[in-house]
Amino acid sequence: MKLRLAVFVAGASLLAAIPALAHHSFSAEFDGHKPVRLVGALTKVEWTNPHSYFYLDVKDDKGNVVNWGCEAGGPLALSRAGMKRGDLKIGDTIVVDGYLAKDGSHLIDARRVTLPDGRNVYGGSPGDGGPSDTSAAASKK
Amino acid sequence: MTILQICQWLNDSPLGTSIRESDFSFALIETTHVLGITLMAGTVAILDLRLLGLMLRQDEVSDVAGQVLPLTVAGFVLMAISGSLLFWSEAARMYFNPAFRFKLVLMLAAGLNPLIFHRTVYRKVASWNLAQPTPAAAKTAAVVSLALWTGIIVSGRAIAYFH
Repeated sequence: MKLRLAVFVAGASLLAAIPALAHHSFSAEFDGHKPVRLVGALTKVEWTNPHSYFYLDVKDDKGNVVNWGCEAGGPLALSRAGMKRGDLKIGDTIVVDGYLAKDGSHLIDARRVTLPDGRNVYGGSPGDGGPSDTSAAASKK
Repeated sequence: MTILQICQWLNDSPLGTSIRESDFSFALIETTHVLGITLMAGTVAILDLRLLGLMLRQDEVSDVAGQVLPLTVAGFVLMAISGSLLFWSEAARMYFNPAFRFKLVLMLAAGLNPLIFHRTVYRKVASWNLAQPTPAAAKTAAVVSLALWTGIIVSGRAIAYFH
C-alpha cells in the first residue's frame, strides 16, 4: 500500500507540474536580487507562447539609447492579468519593473508593466516562482 | 528555399501564428505532447526492460512486443502530431535552438535503432523468445533505446533554456 501511495503521489505531482512545463522558471534566467526599472518607448512586441517578449528603447545614464528585451508571461497569463494584445503599441512609452538576466544581457523579466493609461499589470508567468508570484503553484513551494 | 526560410515560412503561416499567439491551444498541444511521449517512451521501456531480462521473464519476447506495439504507435501518433504543431508555431526560433537540434539527431537515432533491431537479432526471435539471458545484441538495442529516449526527453525539456 505504501508503494501505491508513493506512486500516486509521484503521479499527482507530475500532473501538477505539467502547466509549468510550458516554460522555464524565473530563477532559470533571472536574478531576484537585481531589480530594475526600465522606462522607454516600445519598439517591438511578440505576443507569443510560451513567453511574450516586448522591446524598449531605454536611455542610459550617458544618454545612449539601448534596446532592452522584456520577458513576460504568455498570452493567456497576460490577458488574465488584465492586459490585452492591442494594449502594447509601438512607440508608446511604458514603465517596466523587473529583474535583470543572470547572464548580464539586455533582458529583464517583466514583473509589473505600467501602461500609458496608468494601468499597472502583473507581467510574470503564474507559478514561475519569481518575486511576487502569488499563484497557487508558487504558494505550495 | 533554405531550411531557415522554410522554418520562417512555417513560423509566419496563419496556423503557426495562431498557435503561437493563442490563449489555450499552445498549452493544450504541449500537454498532449508530454502525455504522448509518456505513452510512447513508457511502452518502449517495457519492451526494453524485457529484452534486458529485468521484467516479464516468463513471457515470450514476441508476445510482449506484440502487446506493447499498439500503445507505442498510439503514443507516437500523439507525440508526432502535437510535436509538429509546436514546431510549426516556433519554427524560426527552433531552427537556432541547440537543444532542439540535438534532439533531432537523437530522434533520428531512435528511429534507426528499432529498424536495425528488427532486421537483425529480432528476425530469429522465435529461437530466443524465452532464453535467459537474452542475446547480447538484444540487450544492446534495449540499452541504446533507453538511453536515446531519455536523451530525447531531457533535450526536449532543455529547449526552453536556450534563446
